[in-house]
Amino acid sequence: MTDVTDTNLHFHQGLDSLEHEVLGMVDRAEQMVAMAVDAVCTGDVDLAAQVIKLDDNIDRTYLEVHGHWTHLMARFQPLGSDLRKMTVLLQLNQTFERMGDQCVNIAKVTKLNEGLPRVERMVEQIREMGDLARPMIRTAIEAYVRQDLEEARLLPAMDQPVDRLNANMYKEIIAVGSNPEMLEWASKIMMVARALERIGDQAVDFAEQTAYLITGERAEFVKVGLSRSVDDSPS
Amino acid sequence: MSMGDGTEGDFDMTTRQEQARPTDIRVEVAASGHTTESGEVKPRSIVFDASRLSVFYGDFRAVRDVDLPVIQNQITALIGPSGCGKSTVIRCFNRMNDLINGARIEGTVSYHGIDIYQDEVDPVELRRRVGMVFQKPNPFPKSVYDNVAFGPRLGGFKGKMDDLVEESLRRAALWDEVKDKLDESGMALSGGQQQRLCIARAIATSPDVLLMDEPCSALDPIATLRIEELMLDLKDDYTIIIVTHNMQQAARVSDRTAFFSVKVSDEGQRTGYLVEFSPTEELFTAPREKQTEDYITGRFG
Repeated sequence: MTDVTDTNLHFHQGLDSLEHEVLGMVDRAEQMVAMAVDAVCTGDVDLAAQVIKLDDNIDRTYLEVHGHWTHLMARFQPLGSDLRKMTVLLQLNQTFERMGDQCVNIAKVTKLNEGLPRVERMVEQIREMGDLARPMIRTAIEAYVRQDLEEARLLPAMDQPVDRLNANMYKEIIAVGSNPEMLEWASKIMMVARALERIGDQAVDFAEQTAYLITGERAEFVKVGLSRSVDDSPS
Repeated sequence: MSMGDGTEGDFDMTTRQEQARPTDIRVEVAASGHTTESGEVKPRSIVFDASRLSVFYGDFRAVRDVDLPVIQNQITALIGPSGCGKSTVIRCFNRMNDLINGARIEGTVSYHGIDIYQDEVDPVELRRRVGMVFQKPNPFPKSVYDNVAFGPRLGGFKGKMDDLVEESLRRAALWDEVKDKLDESGMALSGGQQQRLCIARAIATSPDVLLMDEPCSALDPIATLRIEELMLDLKDDYTIIIVTHNMQQAARVSDRTAFFSVKVSDEGQRTGYLVEFSPTEELFTAPREKQTEDYITGRFG
């Protein structure tokens, strides 16, 4: 790219700054996931309140990004990879805002479950889900920053154990038995597992957006179910 | 999107990346049809096919080696920086370059399979079938009516002229604005109306193709949008080729876009060439060529 003159400099400066704002959101969301999981697992109500407060911050950025995005689009009508980046940033803005909402959902359970009896095995599984989901977000961020398609494609496999742990929660709740207080606690913990499973999916979505930005092809990272009978059956 | 159903399963990563884009649109066109307003599916065909087309002005090669098939009932846009030869190329389709001293071509331009640069081809008849609208509206200094009737009269039109004039003006989306002033001079209309009058004049000779060389560059945004809307209406009946320096205009109206660029020789001679010819949506969102990408994002080497 030697001797290239950027005749669209004002747009590209605006685009860089928009990208910076959006990536700042996911950085904060990653931190919120750690805090929310910690809060719900230790029953730390103050930490949960901090998470809820931090989400206001993400919501504010979401609106600002929306405004800046609209402004850039109206002024410059970008094309090519610029247009792709604009569409990706709009999508990521929403994805990260929702990631923040899921953290709030997790944090709220902390207060709801205060004083109820706990099932430690389920708490451990929630911790494990958090420990799996955060590296997914980090990997997705790095794939985006480095524009690394191979790294982006790692995400579905990373999501697999998160999904498995979430599915396993149903079995755990059956094992809880009939103690009403413990059941109430466990049903809220299932919501936490569901929220973490959603966060995993959002990280996969982030990676899909990165792949689109790089290739220009809309590509879904498809999860194939267990029913392989069609492929396996003799023709 | 990722599936959030929480079920276990094996994972596969499939992308559509591996699917090759069609490289030969002749093959694609032969296999495709288009649905008309009445719901009927008609096969498309190639109206114009430029093959290895080079255009010379004397010794100077203005454009080289252009391969450009133009598909029936589509709008094909030619874009690119100044001097890239897009206007030169569009003028080959009705042999307008013949009027320039020393101009000649190499390669072929066929129209429905007939080489239009053969001696037997009558350029006047070709231009009746392949109408042209220019950058600056250029109505004749005659009445609105006579502007439209001019071509048909010249061609010996025997039908009802009033009907033809009305029909042509209606199709050019101008009738309602001029029906009470058909006797007034065409030059008295607004710029946008004049351009639509020129389109009506081109339509009146029942052409098959309309060539438009920057038809909106002298018009305000509203008049521009009206012409663009008109083009989208007209493509049901005509094949349209438009040269535009406005990328957003090409993105708004065309089905396929050809991006031309220009190479400057050591002697300072500028020769245009075709960089990429793709479906418009593809060219403006994910172009194949880096040169196209640099141009549409405003980065110039």
